[in-house]
Amino acid sequence: MGNNTLTNKKSISIGKTIGNYSFVLIFLAIFVSYLIINKGATTWSGVMNILRHSAVVGILAFGMGLVIITGGIDLSVGSMLSLVGGLTVVVFNNTHSAVLTLIFALAAGTACGLINGLFIGVAKMPAFIVTLATMLIYRSIAQFYLRTMGLSIYSMDASHPTYDAIYGFGQAKILTVPVVGITLLVITAIMVYLSTMTKLGKRVYAIGSNEKAAHLAGINVTLTRVMVYVITGILAGIAAFLWLAMNGSVDPATIGKSYEMYAIAAVVIGGISMSGGKGKLLGVLFGAMSYNIIDKIIASLGFDALINDTIKGSILLVAVLVQMVVPMLRGRFRKISG
Amino acid sequence: MEMLRMTDISKSFFGVTVLNHVNFSVEPGEVHALLGENGAGKSTLMNILGGVYTRDSGSVVFEGQKLEHSSVASAEQAGIAFVHQELNLFNDLTVYENIFLRKELTNKLGTLDKKAMIQQSAALFEHLGVDIDPRAMVSELETGKKQLLEIAKALHAKARLFILDEPTTALNNEETAHLFTIVRRLKEQGNSFIFISHKMTEIFALADRYTVLRNGEFIHSGLISETTPQEVTRMMVGERYSDREAYEQRELGGPILELEGLSGQGFHDISLSIRRGEVVGFTGLVGAGVSELFQTIFGERPITGGCLKIAGVPVTKHSIHRAMLNKVSMIAANRKENSIIPDFTLLENDYISEHTLTWRHQHISRKKEVQKYEELRKKLNIKSNSPDDLITSLSGGNQQKVILARWLNTQSDILLMDNPTQGIDVGAKAEIYRLIQELARSGKTILVNTLEIPEIQQVADRCVVFYHGSLQAQLDRSEISEEAVMLQATNAINTAEVSN
Repeated sequence: MGNNTLTNKKSISIGKTIGNYSFVLIFLAIFVSYLIINKGATTWSGVMNILRHSAVVGILAFGMGLVIITGGIDLSVGSMLSLVGGLTVVVFNNTHSAVLTLIFALAAGTACGLINGLFIGVAKMPAFIVTLATMLIYRSIAQFYLRTMGLSIYSMDASHPTYDAIYGFGQAKILTVPVVGITLLVITAIMVYLSTMTKLGKRVYAIGSNEKAAHLAGINVTLTRVMVYVITGILAGIAAFLWLAMNGSVDPATIGKSYEMYAIAAVVIGGISMSGGKGKLLGVLFGAMSYNIIDKIIASLGFDALINDTIKGSILLVAVLVQMVVPMLRGRFRKISG
Repeated sequence: MEMLRMTDISKSFFGVTVLNHVNFSVEPGEVHALLGENGAGKSTLMNILGGVYTRDSGSVVFEGQKLEHSSVASAEQAGIAFVHQELNLFNDLTVYENIFLRKELTNKLGTLDKKAMIQQSAALFEHLGVDIDPRAMVSELETGKKQLLEIAKALHAKARLFILDEPTTALNNEETAHLFTIVRRLKEQGNSFIFISHKMTEIFALADRYTVLRNGEFIHSGLISETTPQEVTRMMVGERYSDREAYEQRELGGPILELEGLSGQGFHDISLSIRRGEVVGFTGLVGAGVSELFQTIFGERPITGGCLKIAGVPVTKHSIHRAMLNKVSMIAANRKENSIIPDFTLLENDYISEHTLTWRHQHISRKKEVQKYEELRKKLNIKSNSPDDLITSLSGGNQQKVILARWLNTQSDILLMDNPTQGIDVGAKAEIYRLIQELARSGKTILVNTLEIPEIQQVADRCVVFYHGSLQAQLDRSEISEEAVMLQATNAINTAEVSN
């Protein structure tokens, strides 16, 4: 009898673990189908490229994850990439300094996030509306400013040696692992630590779970809200810098288009609840990589890239369905065994 | 003839028996109090009657008819109305639309006959003696009115047996009195009520008969006129019951909290001096301003006039954070809304406030936190398995203890408790009283706001009565009685003591 309840408990906790880490299963399923479709043509550098190409969306998605945990949303991350990326190119072309370029990217991202944060946190406006507005504004400014300069694309001045340093950083590898991918992993580690082991992280969850109780527990809700949007902005700045390091130029009309949606999808696939307060940021990494592999699968199948979003959308539906169904089955299983 | 007879009802969930051969009956035209601690099986029994759960065994006979395949709809059809604690009203519809939902009256053209529905609603309210505008939006009604609307709605649906599940939790004394008048009127017309409440005064004021359940078993049934609150409590709690009063005489320290003509939203010109280690009971009708006073001392609302001194130092800039730095804490009313972080574990709910004071040090050391939590858990006797369990898995009493732990964790000296025993059963209430005394003995100053006078008698050194935002009277421990307090709280005697 005692033995029985023990195994019972164990199987429930295994079921629970699978439920909590369903993003790993989804990632593995997509990754294995990628290996099968490639029929052994998969190379180590191919796999490493997944990491590299997931970096920009992945880093944006970490900010998005934090914002969604507070119960908010940030639709402007794709447009931030456009504005911060474009202006950073201008700063580089005028200073030719890698350090100033990086600092500017971070500062511009901070400013974009701060604007969102002030409207949402201090003025208490709905996050959806504020970031919808700044989504339109940020990209438009990037496009308009480019037009006033009579150019069609923000292009880094490739003649200067610093360009090689930055571009080189985007292509570099350490022990066959791309530096951009390593950056993603480092940010993953920082964000997972921040969200699980620090007081700021717990605040973010507390606000998303019960804002009023969090306030009455002494938490500064306004400041915390502003902070998560600023962090998202800083991450967008890092993402913009990585984009430049990888590509050397920015087309403000197309860069980061729909990235806010991919970031939201990565967050949801990662198991974070859209109503806030629940979920793990680690899932975001797997969510972002899953989406990147789909691009690769479609490329190797030789399909038209336009089918891309059909598959991504379907995977999102399946992922959320699994997240809904697994706890239900778990409940039923417990009923039968109990 | 009996109106309702439930015989031999059994029910188990996941192999755990929650009702074990329970018998229960209601006569026509009576108010029947169903008593028991949380987890005694009251809700399960009522959910079986209301058709929410199906019983494993036993029979239900209502007005001579056997109720077989139970569902919510068939119970309603039979004439049983379940008025839930969380009211089932649509806030964004009008009053009459709520009453006629799914039973809308239409005219010949098939469009809604609003005029007839409004007229019938008005007639219904007149019959009940309730003043509600049928065209008002439900969201604009006070909670008391909503409760009455829920009853009116059931009455309109031809209900004859009403299940009232803690109907007075959100009502002030006036609203409660009004509700009781209406219940008595409907009773005279032959309707019956099953009344679930934790408040003994209300049970003894309203009920005719009672039935006690304990741990899913039928314990006793009898006439209210032939029993006492002590006897009923003993039946509910079982062997754990002790008559011992929680109160103990203590040495008090110097003044720690001084209010000099303090004014804020909802109260004005309050002068009071509270000493270290003192337990002060505050009471007054809802809206009397005590909750507002607590929230102002805690920095949640602004001070608009006068002076607040904490440990001799006047408070200038005020916020929750500053109040916490001054070692003031508040256990807010409505635990679920204002205290519980539902997605957090016990440990996280415990440390969240202390962390706002140690913000500079960002890293959370789990080992240290668990150690601190375990100490508090033992001190407060929190019944739980693991610090990593969700707080929502605990009973109300244990949840409240975790919230108390949250504030003790901040090392606060002054604890403001706004209705701390709300939704907590008798056994756990006694434990909270004991803890209040224990904390006071260790030097904490405790202010308790409650509508229940026996609660103040259990713990307080003195009782402060509020009326319409001003301090009406202060009673010494020896002077505290239901009558004395109610006279002051309703301003029935106009004392010359009113300050200013």
